[in-house]
Amino acid sequence: MLCIMHKSAENPEHWLANHGDYLYRYAMSRLRNEELSADMVQEALLAAWKGWKNFAGKSSVRTWLVGILKHKIIDHIRKEIRDRKLADAVESDPTSAWFDADGKWLEAPRAWKENPEELCESEQFQKTLQSCISKLPEKQQIIFQMRELTGEDTDTICKEADITSTHLHVLIHRARLALRTCLEHHWFGGSR
Amino acid sequence: MKHFCQKASQLASDAFERDLTFSERLKLQFHLTICSICSHYADNLKLLNKVLLGMRYQQKDDDICLSDEDRRRIETVLKQNTTHSDS
Repeated sequence: MLCIMHKSAENPEHWLANHGDYLYRYAMSRLRNEELSADMVQEALLAAWKGWKNFAGKSSVRTWLVGILKHKIIDHIRKEIRDRKLADAVESDPTSAWFDADGKWLEAPRAWKENPEELCESEQFQKTLQSCISKLPEKQQIIFQMRELTGEDTDTICKEADITSTHLHVLIHRARLALRTCLEHHWFGGSR
Repeated sequence: MKHFCQKASQLASDAFERDLTFSERLKLQFHLTICSICSHYADNLKLLNKVLLGMRYQQKDDDICLSDEDRRRIETVLKQNTTHSDS
């Protein structure tokens, strides 16, 4: 029947061959983790196989597969945030690590003289930046990567991480404080 | 009186995320003219933002691919699972 015909025309191994890299790239852009991204591609392809009957053919197979992958990634991020108790409550204010009780800087930021275009090209700097990002608390890390490296918009991130936009802004603010300090110590501080 | 630096650092970050209100913008701008430390902070964030934006464009390369190992592993799992559901 129709269903069987479709099955012979499209099967998961063909999907892997034709769309595997595309899906992997999509997962990598969000997760930045090779092993995890490959796992997500695998899960998405398995789910696609099970749900093949639901594919209405309204979109291309690739769009359909990306949709499934996206859901898998959202599930993963939400689970990650829940399981690891990355609650990171807004009430407790870790910005006190940067400010004294009077709201004054504990360690004054200095001027950075370097040129952004050159930094962008520098592999060394990118490494330092990645290592600073990886030192962020996990929830901030996930959110900062989605926002700054993938360029995701606020609404999408809030939905994926299940947080309000105010909470998102606070988390990004904290991530920037931590990242800036880390970069000043490991790159701009002169002790490189 | 509490210093405005802590609040200013939040506003400087928020400026990348949302439109600040008129009064927030005014307070921040005024503070930045009188506080060189916060002004460095705001400049640092601007530079960081530019670098990250630049990196975002570089990353669109096609050289990110599934490794042969991962590909084989996924293939095996797919074969196992799809033959099961067929029978």
